[in-house]
Amino acid sequence: MSRHQSSRTVTFALCGIWFLITIFPFYWTFITSFKPPTAVNGGATYLPFIDFEPTMKAYVDAWSGSRGDFFTPFLNSTLIGISATVLAVLLGSMAAYALVRFEFRVRLLAGAAFAAMGIGGFLLFQYFGLSRAQAMGVSFLLALPSSVLLNRLRLPGPVLGNNDVVFWFVSQRMFPPIVTAFALYLRYAEIGKDGFRALDTYRGMTLCYTSFSLPIVVWLMRDFFQALPVEIEEAALVDDVPRLRIFFEIVLPMARPGLIATSLITLGFVWNEFLFALLLTTSDWQTLPIILSGQNSYRGDEWWAISVAAMVSITPMLVLALFLARLMRSGLSLGAIK
Amino acid sequence: MRDPIKYVFIWPAFLVVLIVALFPLFYSLIVSFQHMRLVPPVPTRFIGFDNYAKLLSQERFWSVIGTTTLIVVCSVTVQYVVGFAVALALHGKVVAERLFRVTFLLPMLMAPIAVAMVARMLFHSTVGPINDFFSLVGLPNLPFLTKASWALGAIISVEVWQWTPFVILMMLAGLQTLPGEVYEAADLENATPWQQFWGITFPMLLPISVAVIFIRVIESFKILDIVFVLTGGGPGISTETLTLFAYQEGFKKFNLGYTSALSFLFLLVIIIFGVVYLAVLRPTLEKRS
Repeated sequence: MSRHQSSRTVTFALCGIWFLITIFPFYWTFITSFKPPTAVNGGATYLPFIDFEPTMKAYVDAWSGSRGDFFTPFLNSTLIGISATVLAVLLGSMAAYALVRFEFRVRLLAGAAFAAMGIGGFLLFQYFGLSRAQAMGVSFLLALPSSVLLNRLRLPGPVLGNNDVVFWFVSQRMFPPIVTAFALYLRYAEIGKDGFRALDTYRGMTLCYTSFSLPIVVWLMRDFFQALPVEIEEAALVDDVPRLRIFFEIVLPMARPGLIATSLITLGFVWNEFLFALLLTTSDWQTLPIILSGQNSYRGDEWWAISVAAMVSITPMLVLALFLARLMRSGLSLGAIK
Repeated sequence: MRDPIKYVFIWPAFLVVLIVALFPLFYSLIVSFQHMRLVPPVPTRFIGFDNYAKLLSQERFWSVIGTTTLIVVCSVTVQYVVGFAVALALHGKVVAERLFRVTFLLPMLMAPIAVAMVARMLFHSTVGPINDFFSLVGLPNLPFLTKASWALGAIISVEVWQWTPFVILMMLAGLQTLPGEVYEAADLENATPWQQFWGITFPMLLPISVAVIFIRVIESFKILDIVFVLTGGGPGISTETLTLFAYQEGFKKFNLGYTSALSFLFLLVIIIFGVVYLAVLRPTLEKRS
């Protein structure tokens, strides 16, 4: 019995210590955002009303915009976050559903042909005097249909199945993002020269985040769809209900918990993302993390104002975490992780 | 079988990823073999492997690889050990379990930029609470962000704070799948908790451990946000990571061919790591199953 007792104390102590380590930075940010300057610059102070007199001044300043515009980046983050999430979850669920219910066969050689034609065509058309963006567009438009046609032929070499397609989607996430971020920056800059502005625009950012959220959505939603019973769909198919209607009216409603969890995770990813926003925006469509990262350099050590900025970024994620925790209590966690 | 509707489902997502993520890669692969500068603008020309050769012969490149590897190895090791321990403790039914579970999830969902900002405040040399604590127990104020070794330590501890929750989450999910009967049998044979851990829990969770460490290493190699805000790569270049180095070359010097070559070398490092890691661990995993 005493051994049992002592092991309980040890586990509780371990959880308690990690709890304090986890919670302290949140507590510190929260109280610092209410501190007057004197309570920050005079050394560390810990307890409101005892160590210092809390004030709302930093929040008022942030709201009035007297210390740089917070409202626009907040709005930008929200708009881009919601549109990219909706698009990614919609397109990703469709793809995930197809990967669960249908069989796909992609010949490796056709994929290699796509890469070869894409790169070769780009170099060739540029040699013939097209601009870089045009050469890219034309070579893409030629490479894609011809490799799709090639895929129909009986080419030698390995044939990739559904699992490989899923892996292909997920591997886009394993790449170091700087590789794609630079490539995308160059590409956005090139098509900008030809008259389609993508850098520092709403459409450019939304498209970029949609694409980089898709792998996670496909991966998560595939698990949720796999867990659904196939009989209801089969019954509907017998009644000649079109597949698209089955998907939107039967499958998606059944997968609702999964859809919510996936959306929240995607939204969190877009809301927190820094690198792409850093490269692809310059002024109009800067998101919160970019504004946040600049705080220190043009304000020096005004920690109370910086804490307010951090709170603005953190609070929506805290709410999101509580939502996720509730979902997971209702038995979602294993499906999402496996 | 030949159901054409399946293409309606998959092509939109496929096209978006092809256009936005994959096709630009082809382009930057070409650029990596070219001399391309935006500022000052010089005519682009093909130079073969020169960019790669120049990078490999540069001392800074190797120092950056070393720094990144050091951060990754230290932080992932601590994350795994602490995360596993906390997951075990949580699994053993503690008081206030629900509160702990929600709280332990939080750091993972925060913007790394915000976390780094807060860390800057906590590690501040005169007004930060960490140095305040050190002076309380009689230690001198430490130059956390301005001295190379301390700055590395600060970065690693921030990484640990933010990503240990991921290990906790995954290991907890793994622990829940373990069969209870094995432990009952072990209890009958009077095995100590220590023996039960090394004899049952650890080996049975080996596959998920391998996956967790793999994901964390791949993700940690990308580290940028925290270093960007916390030290900016300084003092000197002592805390510069791969992504930060690429960013500096590309956006401060606009040396695009060089940067593209750098990012492909980076990709190569990740691929080599992945292949070696899986090759080393495959025998152990296959023996278990």
